[in-house]
Amino acid sequence: MKTTIQEQDGKMVAILVGSLDTAAAPETEKAMSPLNDVEGKDIIIDCTELEYISSAGLRIFLGILQNAQGKGGQVYIKGINENVRTIFAITGFCNIFKFM
Amino acid sequence: MVVSAAILFVAALGYMFFQARDAVYHEAMNRATQILDKTSLRVDSILNRVEVASDMTRWLVERHTNQADSMFVYSRSMLENNPDFYNCSVAFEPYYFEEKGRYFSAYTKHVGDSIRTIQGGSDSYQYFFADWYLMPKLLDRPCWTEPYFDYDVATNTSEMVTSYCQAIKDKRGKMIGVINTSLSINWLSNTISAVKPYPHSYSIMIGRGGTYFVHPDSTKITRQTIFTQTLEQPDTAMMALGYAMQRGESGMKLMHLDGKDNYVFYKPLGKTGCSMAIVCPESDIFRSFDRLQNTIMGIVAVGLLLMLYFFIRIITFELDPLRRLATEAETIASGQFDAELPDFQRVDEIGQLSHSFGNMQQSLVKYIDELKKTTAQKATIESDLRIASKIQLGMLPEKFPTRADRDDVQLFASLTPAKEVGGDLFDFYFRDEKLFFCIGDVSGKGVPASLFMAVTRSTFRTVSAHESMPDRIVTIMNKTIADMNKNHMFVTLFVGVLDLPTGRLHYCNAGHDAPLLVGAGVGELPCDSNIPVGFMPQWKFSLQEAQIFTGTTIFLFTDGLTEAMDANKVQFQMQRVNEVAARALENQQHEPRQLIEQMTEAVHQFVGDAEQSDDLTMMAIQYIRQQSDAKMQKSIVLPNDIQEVPQLNAFVEDVCQTVGFDEIETMKIKVAVEEAVVNVMKYAYPTGQHGDVNIEAAFNDTRLKFTIIDSGKPFDPTVQSAVDTSLSAKERKIGGLGIHIMRQNMDSINYERMNDLNVLTLRKKINKKS
Repeated sequence: MKTTIQEQDGKMVAILVGSLDTAAAPETEKAMSPLNDVEGKDIIIDCTELEYISSAGLRIFLGILQNAQGKGGQVYIKGINENVRTIFAITGFCNIFKFM
Repeated sequence: MVVSAAILFVAALGYMFFQARDAVYHEAMNRATQILDKTSLRVDSILNRVEVASDMTRWLVERHTNQADSMFVYSRSMLENNPDFYNCSVAFEPYYFEEKGRYFSAYTKHVGDSIRTIQGGSDSYQYFFADWYLMPKLLDRPCWTEPYFDYDVATNTSEMVTSYCQAIKDKRGKMIGVINTSLSINWLSNTISAVKPYPHSYSIMIGRGGTYFVHPDSTKITRQTIFTQTLEQPDTAMMALGYAMQRGESGMKLMHLDGKDNYVFYKPLGKTGCSMAIVCPESDIFRSFDRLQNTIMGIVAVGLLLMLYFFIRIITFELDPLRRLATEAETIASGQFDAELPDFQRVDEIGQLSHSFGNMQQSLVKYIDELKKTTAQKATIESDLRIASKIQLGMLPEKFPTRADRDDVQLFASLTPAKEVGGDLFDFYFRDEKLFFCIGDVSGKGVPASLFMAVTRSTFRTVSAHESMPDRIVTIMNKTIADMNKNHMFVTLFVGVLDLPTGRLHYCNAGHDAPLLVGAGVGELPCDSNIPVGFMPQWKFSLQEAQIFTGTTIFLFTDGLTEAMDANKVQFQMQRVNEVAARALENQQHEPRQLIEQMTEAVHQFVGDAEQSDDLTMMAIQYIRQQSDAKMQKSIVLPNDIQEVPQLNAFVEDVCQTVGFDEIETMKIKVAVEEAVVNVMKYAYPTGQHGDVNIEAAFNDTRLKFTIIDSGKPFDPTVQSAVDTSLSAKERKIGGLGIHIMRQNMDSINYERMNDLNVLTLRKKINKKS
């Protein structure tokens, strides 16, 4: 599992590559923690190469979203594949995230 | 009272009449007998007079037997001295007086007021041959003749007479003639009949042969005897009378003559050999008595009628206020409650009654008002009850799974309340390849029971959502219900959880009837005797378990079945339930719906037209899962370290590929198993303590099954509450997602604690296409 965070066109972009299972979750959460400090910028989570996600990963996503919304920011999901979208659908996460 | 007085009065009167009649009767007897005696004496005296006169004449005649013309003087003086004699003859033997020729009879007879004496006897009247002449000659003593007609040549008339005749003898004792003195029978008859004791009484006289000499019907005289009539119409009474009179007896007989009752008094008439009788009609004897009786009766009748009239007048007068009250009551009864009552201003009982009636009317108006309100309330309540009944029945499951719906279990149930709403309940639902079911019976009936039933049913649902073990479910339900049970109601309850993949039944019985198992024979499921739910909050209910084999039906019921009563209050009883179940099993008709229908029919037949006495509830559950052989089995043992998750995922992916799931399904199964195993890794063992998680995978033609086993503390992930996926990001909680994903991604998820192990089973159907 590889996590990259970069700024792009005034937005914070997190690029996730690999399987975000329970084992990978602590590390990924740590890697994405800078996003919690973002002020006044929208956040894009690029899931184009995210192959797999379990509830541990979803919890990280929810944490980032709640934090950003608390500051008036927005979180977008980008390039989500069919597998991950299925999990988002099952858990109702498609209702709370915006997709681009 | 009036009637009894009248009866008493009439009875006394009746007795008086009876006594008076008796006295009158005796009086009549005496009177008639006296008259008869007197008449008889009179006749005797007349006859005596005839005999004495005849004797004296004979004495004179015998002194002067040589002076023929003297005979005319003697004969004439006889009638002159006795004007009531009819005639007198002094007749002599032929040629006794030679100068007078062959015939000499000095014959004297009354003609009008004068007396005529002639010389009787001629060739045409040879008196020597008449009875009156021959009888004394032959008998050689004086005698009375039978009546005969005396023919008078001069006037050419004849008269019925009876004669006293005696022989005239010369000094040598030779018979030379006969003195004959006659009495007119007609005159005698008039003499006898002259004295009448009663206006319609009459006399009769008969001779020795029974011939009538005196009779009111003159055509009968000498022509008929007393026996003539009896020849035509046998009349023993008349014959007896005839014989008695002929024998010269005296007495009295009551006889029926000419259509009337008559008293007949009879007595012989001295030497004549005749007998006389006085016939007195009974009506005459009792005439005055009857008149008296009729008069008194009339007076009594009029008196009674008057009494009746006055009674009616008095009663009418006294009762008039009552009648008016009754009329008013009628008006009130017809619904006009404000009708005004008459005011009598009386202080007697009727006044009191009127007063009470007024009070009653007021109470009635008040009561009717209340009744109207109550009726309206009752209508509301009834309507509420109907709605409640619908709601209550709506609470119960309506759709029953059959063989077409499921391949592991089929179920049917029926509930018939005795009233609109009842206290019986049943419920079932599926969770995680487990069938949760319960049946219960609340104490009592009607609305209170139905409310308690609703509470019980919702408590069952709430508690069983988080608990999978029946003993825990019942214990918690008991505590919850007992805490809020102020009315000391209770419910007998049977709660079961059937593990559908294995057929393992866990159950807890709280004072309910033990269910029947209908499979390999019919038998009761052994049940602990726990107490019913609702009164001892601290009671710890026991858990029991049993293996249900494929094809076996569990038959649950409430006591409304065993205690169903026919018209004679005889109960259906367990024995009949067993018989019906055994018959159903024998005919292979023990599928849930069939079994319940047969049981229902049997109960209806037994009960007949009797009213249903208690709620009747039945539920039948048949386990029908066919176990199929596993095609493949794999397992992996991992330590309780989340870093092992990739190995797990690789294992799951491998299994899924073997089965042939597509990418999406594989991913979903992978996530579900990961969530399940991570749960165990995180929570089963205390932090820092090593423990293993055993994951077994197996599949057959229809299902893939993962069994996750650990030896950690008991932990049932299936009882966590569901995640609400419709909430906003802000409202959503971190956590609870794992179990949600497991449920969503797998077809079933099932937890069991077995032999100190947590056993979690996840199943996924295999789609034949894949």
